[in-house]
Amino acid sequence: MGNKKCTKTGNKAKLLILLLLMPLIAGCWDRSELDERALVLGISIDKADPETEKEEPDVSHLPGQEPLPAKDMIRLTAQLAVPGRIPLGPGGQGGGASPGGSQTIWPLSVVGHSMSDAIANLQQQISSPLFLGHLRTIVVSEEIARKELKDINDYFRRNPEVRRTTWMMVSSGKAEPLMRSAPEIERVPTLYLMMTLEQAVKLGKFPQDFIGVFWSRSVKKGQEGFLPYVEVQKKDNILIQGMAYFKGTKMVGKPSPLEIAAYMGIKGESPGGYQLVKIPGTKSQAVFAATQRKSKIDFKIVHGRPDFSVKVWIEGNINEINADAHLNDDNIKDIERAEAKRVQKIYGDLVSNTQKDGSDIFGFGEYVRAKAPKYWNREIRTVEQWQNMYKDVSVHIQTMVRVRRVGMTTS
Amino acid sequence: MRFLRKRSNDGKKSPALPDQLSPDKVLEQYKDRTISTNLEENIKLINSLLEANPDLVTRRFHVFGKYPAVMFYFSNMVDQTMINFDILKPFIYMPPHLEGRKIGDGQLKNILINETIIHSGARLQSNIVRVIDAILEADSVVLIEGVDEAFLFSTRNVESRAVGQPQTEQVIRGPREGFVESLSTNTALMRYRLKTPSFQIRNMVIGKYTKSNISICYIKGIANPDLVKEVENRLSKIKIDGVLDTGYLEQFIEDNHISPFPQVLYTERPDKAVAQLLEGRVAILMDGSPFALIVPTVFTQFYQVTEDYYERPVMGSFIRLSRLLALIFALIVPSLYVAVISFNPELLPTEFAVAVAGGRASVPYPTVVEVFMMETAMEVLREATVRLPKQVGGALSIVGVLIIGQAAVAAGFASPITVVVIALTTIGSFATPAYNAALALRLLRFFLIIMAGIFGLYGVMIGLILISNHLLSLRSFGIPYMSPIAPGNLQGVKDTLIRAPLWWMKKRPESSQPVNEDRVSGQTVQATKEPPDNPLGPKRSN
Amino acid sequence: MDNTRKITVIQATAVLISTIIGVGILALPRFAVQTAETGAPLVTLLGILVASAGLWLITVLGVRFPSKTIVQYSEEIIGKWLARFGSLLIIGFFAILTSLAAREFGEVVVTTVLRNTPLEVTVIVMLLLAAVSSRHGLETFVYIHYFYLPLILAPALMIVVLSLKNAELLNLLPVMGNEHKELLGGVLTIAALFQGSFIISIVIPHMRRPGQAYKASFMGMSVAGVLYFLIVVATVAVFGPEEIKRLLWPTLELAKTTSLPANILERLDAAFLAVWVTAVFTTLYSSYFLTIHCMSKLFRLRDHKLFSFFVMPFVFFYCDGAAKHSGTLPNHSDCRTDRSDCDHWLSVSAVGGFHHTKKKGYT
Repeated sequence: MGNKKCTKTGNKAKLLILLLLMPLIAGCWDRSELDERALVLGISIDKADPETEKEEPDVSHLPGQEPLPAKDMIRLTAQLAVPGRIPLGPGGQGGGASPGGSQTIWPLSVVGHSMSDAIANLQQQISSPLFLGHLRTIVVSEEIARKELKDINDYFRRNPEVRRTTWMMVSSGKAEPLMRSAPEIERVPTLYLMMTLEQAVKLGKFPQDFIGVFWSRSVKKGQEGFLPYVEVQKKDNILIQGMAYFKGTKMVGKPSPLEIAAYMGIKGESPGGYQLVKIPGTKSQAVFAATQRKSKIDFKIVHGRPDFSVKVWIEGNINEINADAHLNDDNIKDIERAEAKRVQKIYGDLVSNTQKDGSDIFGFGEYVRAKAPKYWNREIRTVEQWQNMYKDVSVHIQTMVRVRRVGMTTS
Repeated sequence: MRFLRKRSNDGKKSPALPDQLSPDKVLEQYKDRTISTNLEENIKLINSLLEANPDLVTRRFHVFGKYPAVMFYFSNMVDQTMINFDILKPFIYMPPHLEGRKIGDGQLKNILINETIIHSGARLQSNIVRVIDAILEADSVVLIEGVDEAFLFSTRNVESRAVGQPQTEQVIRGPREGFVESLSTNTALMRYRLKTPSFQIRNMVIGKYTKSNISICYIKGIANPDLVKEVENRLSKIKIDGVLDTGYLEQFIEDNHISPFPQVLYTERPDKAVAQLLEGRVAILMDGSPFALIVPTVFTQFYQVTEDYYERPVMGSFIRLSRLLALIFALIVPSLYVAVISFNPELLPTEFAVAVAGGRASVPYPTVVEVFMMETAMEVLREATVRLPKQVGGALSIVGVLIIGQAAVAAGFASPITVVVIALTTIGSFATPAYNAALALRLLRFFLIIMAGIFGLYGVMIGLILISNHLLSLRSFGIPYMSPIAPGNLQGVKDTLIRAPLWWMKKRPESSQPVNEDRVSGQTVQATKEPPDNPLGPKRSN
Repeated sequence: MDNTRKITVIQATAVLISTIIGVGILALPRFAVQTAETGAPLVTLLGILVASAGLWLITVLGVRFPSKTIVQYSEEIIGKWLARFGSLLIIGFFAILTSLAAREFGEVVVTTVLRNTPLEVTVIVMLLLAAVSSRHGLETFVYIHYFYLPLILAPALMIVVLSLKNAELLNLLPVMGNEHKELLGGVLTIAALFQGSFIISIVIPHMRRPGQAYKASFMGMSVAGVLYFLIVVATVAVFGPEEIKRLLWPTLELAKTTSLPANILERLDAAFLAVWVTAVFTTLYSSYFLTIHCMSKLFRLRDHKLFSFFVMPFVFFYCDGAAKHSGTLPNHSDCRTDRSDCDHWLSVSAVGGFHHTKKKGYT
């Protein structure tokens, strides 16, 4: 017992010495206070004007020395949080420095040959280290997106700070205004942008599509990715203009918001949006809101090509009736039929549009890969093959609509 | 071992006597000296041994009016009335039944002790050293001319505190009694709760000068005999000038002296001590200390309180869980805060992160320094509050918490969130019922803060692993400190995070390796499962 | 009282589980997907089966010699000198294993969380932790594993459960996978992730009833196997095989994608990494402990404490050297191949030994 005790004591003494030594061998290499970091909340990426090259500081390379990437330069605008401008707690009367409506964010703009080049240039201009851990929105201008998104993706993938749940979106026109916009409702503008999208997901206006989802969709062999397509409105609010779908890493098309619903319908995602339906046989119209959508995607191999059949079940409520129509059982049946027809048309249009662009955002290819692996291995195998084949597979869409509820009034 | 003595009797009333020599050099010379039949010689000897004690009373009188006698006692430690009526009176007045009886030469001693003296704590002693010891123990000693033994009487009456509320372990529901400084009161408090011959006490004396009486209490048939032996063994190795509180003993008998974690539980509550005995543990009480030591101790005991068992199981478990949460708060919240703010701010919700950055903007120091300083200030404040008189203490804590916290934030010295964190931690450490365990956590908190300042979350994790490994390697009297969690024991686990209903805990916890395992009768367990009778339910129609 | 036989079946199981689950869990889905794309779960299962066979061999041998460790009984089976050479190889193997695990851990930490902290520092802290803890006896060793078990299992399971809402069934089909490359290699690589199960060989001599080692092996392998399997399934279901091929540590990305309900923590990766430190620690601790335990048995010492700090510099410098030589990270699957090669060697010798004993038993 005594022996044991003795060694234990020795052990503890050594441990103590170790502990005392630890701070000596260690510094605080990674310590970087929250207020010393430049929190990047949003980034927008535009194509830089040709003459802006002069603007570029010699940070990552000297002019003319290194072989520069033979691409257009990009203009990167970052939205930085200004510490102290956003008070702790409710209201603004907290500390001494009352923000009083002044900018809580600090948009900075730099140019660069690539993402990391631009970030390095940005870092050169500000004192605190940039921190991308709170990067919530990345806006890419349509111009860039249509050209190539590969390098940008690569940068964000490599950086461990970047979240996979960041929202990436494509802006119509320049992306920079989105970083400079200041909607009044939210204290941090970029959060408003993010909230817009997240609420849209909750309300069924847009499918779940953060950057991680986009990435895994775009690399899948039988599927392509898509991103929200946004536009700044007059009041600095943001309109979801539709979706930008990609072929590989290039944007190829932008369907309208109504077609987002079509996409969600085909994928069977709930809840849905609103649609105006003409009540057959009358002049009045009803507004139908889908609450539940289910879909079943099936395929057969016909003449060496997959032949898809998509069945969509939509359930919903009547939210509004214009003019003086009265709802009755027949009426409702009619509405259901009319709605089904309409929906089918919209769905079909979306599918054929994407087919034209060779961008299978629905992941029909994945169904083939998953359920007919032999056929896939024999005929398709690669992304390119499927992109080609998708253009002329046939997709049959069937829709069924049920009106479940008509609200609080019986008429 | 030389000057220690073990006694196997209950020792309910009689104070222990050292059966061997006291170490004092003076007394050493009289090691084998017995009482002489010459009274004057004895008086001279005793007076010379206890010379510089003005409170020693030497009262001469004549037994039955014939035999010269003397009485010694320390005037301030004895019950004067008892001496007057129960000792002096029977010595001086010859009782009626002895009238006319002839008392032979050697008979006086026997007649006195058997027929005359009505004091229950009377006994005879011939060794002079023990007689001296008895006087020091506040006994009264009567010596009679021609009798070769001294009469010793237990007359101790030292002023002692009344049994009152235990100050350090308050409960809402449960007994209001706490141990006091007097050992006999304390054993009485335990014995009236344990009316069984199996409740046994072994006495010993520790301390060269203090000669403190120590009682080792256990329940025979429940406590493991090896454990009792080991406790005695460890206690008997203590040779020291004096022990003034059971805290002295704790430091000698614990397994690991450097560990911040206490390996011996102390309690002020007799009900808790008895509960621990019933779980097969051993309690060590000491004259002069209101705290009983409980061994072996496992970590879970430090956040258990008796009230857990007095409340109904669901409520008991709930309270215990919140206490456990407080304990964890006290340990890791500040270090987590440092790690998240300085290393991993991406863990915070964005809006909050931006706001925190704003709150910190005026703070000149890194978070780790800020938290460290505030924690230190808090420790100082707490220590000050503990030592101050009650009336001042309340005022101080208000000044400390409200004014300093508010001022620190206003001066840009600390961020408001830091103040929240510090407050949470402090309250958390107050919610840990065992003061010594809370102290350990308070100390380790600083270590974790430093680790967090160096490595962030990784550092906190390394620190926690280090602490847990240490806890897992600790033993208390050979019992793994983290049992019943670490060497998994199903019976024991029912009483760790939650407090299972009493009838679920059919067996005593294995962690103290009790001899007799069952504690709830099978019938009772059965009875709890049956639907209750409803004699007052709705009447059945015939 | 027999002091040395204290370990129960559950404790032995816990040791196995927490030893097996370690650094490998982060890259596991990538290994599996690289082999068979959507067939990854299947490959994982095969890997588990192969590893179980190895574990079964060790267990059989251990039960046959219930009071001896592999160092001791190998001397009986294949002769003194050959066995000593073999033991030296085992010791070297596990020392290298320790350093590789430490290095991989350091690599993850340096890439993701502590980007400016030198790799050496994170690694040496971890090794110190293992070395300090290995000074305790086997009993404490077992307690430590037992205690950390929930901390290792819970976060992994939580992430699997939370990620279900992002899962797509299509990503798991076809079950056999579309393309296969080096199926055997992949299976063996995954099996090599289970080589920590070798620890059972030093646990058996201290078990209360060595005969129950089979039960412990079976349970340990099943729990660890099921967890690995679930992680592969969840990762593949969420990301799809193509994305996983592009991710260095898919499990970590999975943690990054998942967030706790109600935004308590916005992202789980740093928190997951922090808890994962425990899993790495237990694995390192086991292999380190195994190394010094075998050493002490080889040199016939009563106590292994002597070696606990003695071995550390070797492990550290090997680790440091490995870090400098193998260069960038994706190459270090080479290390893994080395490891699985060693593993094969071990199993071959074990099979040899097994046959030998059988023969002995019959004659």
